[in-house]
Amino acid sequence: MTDVLFWIMSGISVLSAWRVFRTDSMVRAAYWLMVSFAAVAVILVLLSAEFLGLVLLLMLAGEMTIMAVFMVMFMMNPAGLNPMTMVHQHRAAIAAGVLSFLGLGAVGVFGRFPAGVSFATRDVTARLGMELLNDSMLIFQTAGVTLLATMIGALAIASRRGRYGLADEDSIEPAVENSQNAGEGPPSTEKGSA
Amino acid sequence: MTDWLVMVVVTTTSVGLALTLGIYGTVVLDRVIGRSIAGEPLRLTRALVGPFQHAALLLLQQRSDTERSDSATWAVAPALLGALAAAALAVVPLTPAVALEVSSGIVYFGATMAMVMVAVFLNGWSANSTFPLIGGYRFVAQALSFEMPLVLVLIAAALPAESLNVADIVRSQDTLWNVVRQPLGLPLYLIAALGVSFLGPLGLPDGIDLAGGTVAELSGTALLLWRAAQAAVLVAVSAMGAAVFLGGWLGPWLPGSVWMALKTLLLIALMVVAKHLFGRVRLERFVVVSWVVLIPVALVHVFLSGILALRRIGS
Repeated sequence: MTDVLFWIMSGISVLSAWRVFRTDSMVRAAYWLMVSFAAVAVILVLLSAEFLGLVLLLMLAGEMTIMAVFMVMFMMNPAGLNPMTMVHQHRAAIAAGVLSFLGLGAVGVFGRFPAGVSFATRDVTARLGMELLNDSMLIFQTAGVTLLATMIGALAIASRRGRYGLADEDSIEPAVENSQNAGEGPPSTEKGSA
Repeated sequence: MTDWLVMVVVTTTSVGLALTLGIYGTVVLDRVIGRSIAGEPLRLTRALVGPFQHAALLLLQQRSDTERSDSATWAVAPALLGALAAAALAVVPLTPAVALEVSSGIVYFGATMAMVMVAVFLNGWSANSTFPLIGGYRFVAQALSFEMPLVLVLIAAALPAESLNVADIVRSQDTLWNVVRQPLGLPLYLIAALGVSFLGPLGLPDGIDLAGGTVAELSGTALLLWRAAQAAVLVAVSAMGAAVFLGGWLGPWLPGSVWMALKTLLLIALMVVAKHLFGRVRLERFVVVSWVVLIPVALVHVFLSGILALRRIGS
């Protein structure tokens, strides 16, 4: 049963990864990539790395949507529904693709994998944590909280009540404001020094 | 192999039954509560038969299409939303007998609720039409804001149980329900649940101010499926809320499944009341309140729950 599911999920993953490059819209490409990774997440669950697979799924939804929205914004392609090719710089892309395929394939062929390891116990998540981080758990947890605080701080700076006043009411950084005023008249020394 | 087959059959049947009854219950409650809040006379037969009439009407309606829509994705969106609701409900222990013992059940539930964002965004995006598209973008901003409090309060509830398995969390409430043990949990969860089922005050993706938003171009069967899937999400989050905060199947005299159904209906009713009572919140407002108030409060909540759990384990 696990074998059948594994082959089905592998097939889905490879096929949808191929679709990422054959489709003509950034939103479709992003979600095909999500399908591909979701299939990998199911394979992780089949490998008894339940927690890793589920966290991958949890992250994917937000990641891919944000990526799609940002790509649409950068490309100024209204909503990403206008057809456009997803493949550029063919030679470099082919070289990079072949190289990374050979590299990953080499790991698969020549890598030494433990044989016959069973993870049938219920505390796989705890054992995985010990295996990955061991004594460094506290350090990584502290780093995680610090990063979270940094993100919230960055949001606070970028939010509507930003550093230079309300974002939707003409908030301009002092330096920019000075250079704008410079053309209109003699800049006051007080402003220039600030 | 037979164990596996029995598990699949039992889970599919119980989830299907719970979703069907839950969706019907939600629509009836919506009509009854809506009319009583509006001060209109209550006609029970209308409320009970009305949903079927409305569904039949939608089934007979022609399905409209837009210019150069992404028809495949558009058709997938309601199916994805409904499937996510069913998948989420599968890890909610409806009775002790059919509880699926998934060791990371809470994380699994969080993953399905995060995917709701994809379903709603795709439903708005693939119509290739202005208002649905804006509705889809709105839901992305909304979902990124309520996702963190939703997952954080669920993690806090997992701390006293020392397990991410939802059935273990229910068992840990044997002496004291989490709604009392963690007073901040249920209110935060209900706000996030309104957000994930995009109802009433947080019905931003399909609000009237957007001429229907993500459902502006839907009609007939597509609209019926979308509304049913939305109700299914409401049922799934309510059932999870009942299991995690109201003690799930625990309760005297009545059988566990009846307690679970009553508690789930109570939470559904609370959210339907909120839908009819409160006005729609502005998205900017919600995003700011979420990041400035709800997420810090949820973090403090996790911190306090952790300290309490540690003290209990230590003593």
